[in-house]
Amino acid sequence: MVFHSQERLQPINKTQRVTPGHLTLSETTQSTPVGAGGGLAVGTLLLVEEDRYDSYSRMLLKYFLAEGVVCGHELFLASARDHPDEIMQELPSPIVDDVAGMKISEGQSQPSDPENPDTMKIAWRYQNQPRVQTALASSVRFGHYYDVSKTMEPELRQAAKCHSFYQLQETPVTTESSPLPSPYHALLKSIQTVIRKEGFDGSTPQSKVRNVLRLGLHSLGSVLWGDDVCCKDNPAHCHALTTFLYALRGLLRTSLSVAIVTVPSHLIQVEEFGNRAVMGRIIRLSDTAIALESFRGSEKEANPLYKDYHGLLHVRQLPRLNCLSCEVPDTKDLAFKLKRKQFTIEHIFTELLSSALLVLTITAGEQQE
Amino acid sequence: MLLDVLQGTEAGGFILIQDTVSCSGRGILKCFINAALKRGEDVHVLGFESPETQVCAGLDSSCVQKLHFHEGFPDPLGWKCTSSFTVDQFTSQHITQLIKDTQYAKASVLVVDSLSLVLRHHDPVVICQRLQELRKGGVIKTVIGLLHSDLHQQGVVGIVGHLASTVISVAPANNERHGVAKTTRRTKSGKVMQEEEYFSVSEDATLSVQAKLRQPGHVQKEQDVSEADPTSNLTFNLRLSEEERKAKEKVALPFVFSQEKKSALLRPTPGTGRIMYEPDANDDFDEEDPDDDLDV
Repeated sequence: MVFHSQERLQPINKTQRVTPGHLTLSETTQSTPVGAGGGLAVGTLLLVEEDRYDSYSRMLLKYFLAEGVVCGHELFLASARDHPDEIMQELPSPIVDDVAGMKISEGQSQPSDPENPDTMKIAWRYQNQPRVQTALASSVRFGHYYDVSKTMEPELRQAAKCHSFYQLQETPVTTESSPLPSPYHALLKSIQTVIRKEGFDGSTPQSKVRNVLRLGLHSLGSVLWGDDVCCKDNPAHCHALTTFLYALRGLLRTSLSVAIVTVPSHLIQVEEFGNRAVMGRIIRLSDTAIALESFRGSEKEANPLYKDYHGLLHVRQLPRLNCLSCEVPDTKDLAFKLKRKQFTIEHIFTELLSSALLVLTITAGEQQE
Repeated sequence: MLLDVLQGTEAGGFILIQDTVSCSGRGILKCFINAALKRGEDVHVLGFESPETQVCAGLDSSCVQKLHFHEGFPDPLGWKCTSSFTVDQFTSQHITQLIKDTQYAKASVLVVDSLSLVLRHHDPVVICQRLQELRKGGVIKTVIGLLHSDLHQQGVVGIVGHLASTVISVAPANNERHGVAKTTRRTKSGKVMQEEEYFSVSEDATLSVQAKLRQPGHVQKEQDVSEADPTSNLTFNLRLSEEERKAKEKVALPFVFSQEKKSALLRPTPGTGRIMYEPDANDDFDEEDPDDDLDV
């Protein structure tokens, strides 16, 4: 842990100080998981268990990176399946809310045209307000909104500094004494080099405005990273992923960086293997852990309770930073929905359904007597 | 959707056909080979489980010269050194070289019959990495593999399925049709589409598909109840005739201003409301706080 005295600290790009000595990054999903405090703390690791077809976890990763681009943070993206550049090209475009400003400047010279459907007859005082008064357009807020149907402009994307690591193109290095297999070792080395070179661990002089490094590591634990934890009962490198996460968290704690790691847990937790303990260890080794369960292709798709949502979000672990225990939320039944402009996470009330059933059975019983 | 996948031309895809002992997927594999040949693509078939005659039977004879069969059957492991392609040669370098050796190859399709034999004799992790290298290598346009899902552990089937962009699982149908195919297709953007269809394969390797009716127990579509018109069946008239509507629009509204005054009011002014208070003679303006003497 790094301790700073508050007077000597300079402002760090686009972060907010929540508690003394504790920085938070903006979280794009504005309806954040309860207890997460409205952001990701710098120096922590967020673990996302992928949904079956890796659609929503990939979307979360893209949101994380897009937020980094918009805030001006540096990015590090590692992937074994698709090239990092392909993922970067799919980043959603941020919603810029200067609609009100635009309309006022052009509304002055426009004569009110009776045929123009935009001119209002009775409510003409609201003529120049934006057509859709979105709640998103607030001047002071922490985090941005993105439009999933459009991709980010190349100029905006290229303005951000991005380091990438593509496992397929890395030459395998023989690691004699390392406890890690080659791909994880190379990835860790690459992350360490970037942190040292760009000075995220405080090695650069204080005059430069310090920035935060956002790390996105896609699908760790899958076979493409050379890890056999998904397909074997007794994997040869059963501690590979756990060792990697342990070392990664050490790097994160000693630098101004945040990491999001997605893991295909549905492949690791196969019934016939005894690997279920591995997931528990992986969760313990991260700070925040959530799991996404998509309804697509499962029998839950037909359940009327879930018809408005795309999947369930399970909070596996909440961070305990600078304290002994964390805030426990009232309810853990969260469901998510991916709309065009927002990724919403809401409480769903399963208790109502079960209590309603209870009432029905009681009344049915009375009537029979 | 199965026919779309058959005719699909996007590059870098990996199509996996999963079958079991009760329903073979080799028929669908032949349809894929036939469709690729008709598109003019070079098809390289690694045959470990069936002889060339069986796989090529019924294929379109006009484009057979684009089909390159690498015989591994009946000696896939190379014990008698009689086969041209063994399981050990399933590496990305070897296969890429094999494809580059063919003349005038534009878009090459690699068909593996079957992946099960390869996976049983090699480390699944290594095979998956090689498959990914072949996909992204740029020489091969599409990889199509046949996998016998009852020969492997669920984990191995899971990881190969996870790697694939399209997974077609075949199962026997409980009627006279050939079988049921469940297709799961994943696009680059993360969108997932699933469909179950009846299929049958004809003698000349063409696929005919029939949509499967959804069972009533599954997703219930809400009945579209046409909304009743609330203005009908009333004792008073709520509708407007044309003249009445025109007369209504002509009515001068109480606060209608001229255009200049409207635009003047719409101009953004600095500051919003200001309260201007001028105390009257009757107003008793006492500076003291009347609650001061409260003993609270």
